[in-house]
Amino acid sequence: MTVNRPANSSIRILLVDDDPAEHILLSRKLSAISEPKIDLDFVDGIEAAVRHVQTTAIDIILLDNHLVPNNDFRETAPRLREAGYTGPIGIISSDITGSYFQSFPEYGADFRIGKDEIDGKAISFILEEFLKNMLPDECNDDTL
Amino acid sequence: MLSGQYVFHTGEELNRAINRMDFFRLFKAMSMAHGFSEFGLIELPPEIIDFRYSRAMALHSWPNLHMSEIDRKSKPQQDQPVAHLIKSTVAAVFLSDGADAGEPVSPLMIDEEPGCVVAVPLHTPSGKRYGLLLIGTQDKADYSDIGRISYEASLIFQRYYEAILSLDSMTGLTEREIQIVRWTAEGKTSAEIAVILKLSEHTVNSYTATVLRKLQVVNRAQMVATAIRNGLIT
Repeated sequence: MTVNRPANSSIRILLVDDDPAEHILLSRKLSAISEPKIDLDFVDGIEAAVRHVQTTAIDIILLDNHLVPNNDFRETAPRLREAGYTGPIGIISSDITGSYFQSFPEYGADFRIGKDEIDGKAISFILEEFLKNMLPDECNDDTL
Repeated sequence: MLSGQYVFHTGEELNRAINRMDFFRLFKAMSMAHGFSEFGLIELPPEIIDFRYSRAMALHSWPNLHMSEIDRKSKPQQDQPVAHLIKSTVAAVFLSDGADAGEPVSPLMIDEEPGCVVAVPLHTPSGKRYGLLLIGTQDKADYSDIGRISYEASLIFQRYYEAILSLDSMTGLTEREIQIVRWTAEGKTSAEIAVILKLSEHTVNSYTATVLRKLQVVNRAQMVATAIRNGLIT
């Protein structure tokens, strides 16, 4: 599923976290970024996240690893993909040292990052890295 | 004693790194651990005259820094850290006194304040040359730290080579890359393949870009044709 977004609009990030304090913290970090303009949406569970991506054009999802009552991202990230979301998903957690984090690409996630590592520089890199066109110019309109 | 942040980039996290985001995290942690605010990993041409940041910058920490703008405003021959990286295999420190001292030693020192650049030469096993630039606002260099910075940069770069750079030189396609080529051959767009494989469109395009480089072709039509000719798909 693709939700059309007007050209030149701001970047819309969806934070999925069962701790509202994380929403406040991320809002403060994002306020340090002047360009591009970022809108931050927040939901506290995977069901609400699934509904949100089906109605709103989201550029990037930051998905907390453990959402009560769900298990870890291996259960929740595929739910977002099954809902048709094809934008980048980043798994965020206060502890990303568990060996199972190595399998994040298999579950449809694009990256993982510790919550204490998230700052203006990290967010800017994420936007630059995951919203850029990876393909050469010759491929832009090239379909079979 | 090592701090937690220090252990981060040379400890277990180093072996876990598998994508460019992970290497951004490692180089950023390393920069901060040594008191630097920014880093840039650059690919080096044989001659300084051919150097352009817009082509060379592989990974960096400057938000909204437009490399083409830096290229337009600067002359490669006056870029002391990059010139050093091209002609040397030993790390070096460059100090800038700020605006009063004329041109900064590096065009990446965009603030007209005193600053310090550490330039660490790096190379792949096949001899492809890279360099790591660390930039901070220190007005004095801690030369005792340079050896440690060089070693840590080499550790992270070796892992970067294993996880990222060496993939392009691998012969054959991975199972996932073959899936992408097959669906492309069926006429599916990146967005459609992303839905089918439950991946992001970014990941699908990233796989496609890798296949294009491996097969040395420039578009999807050539990619599919070459894959069929080489028996990679039927």
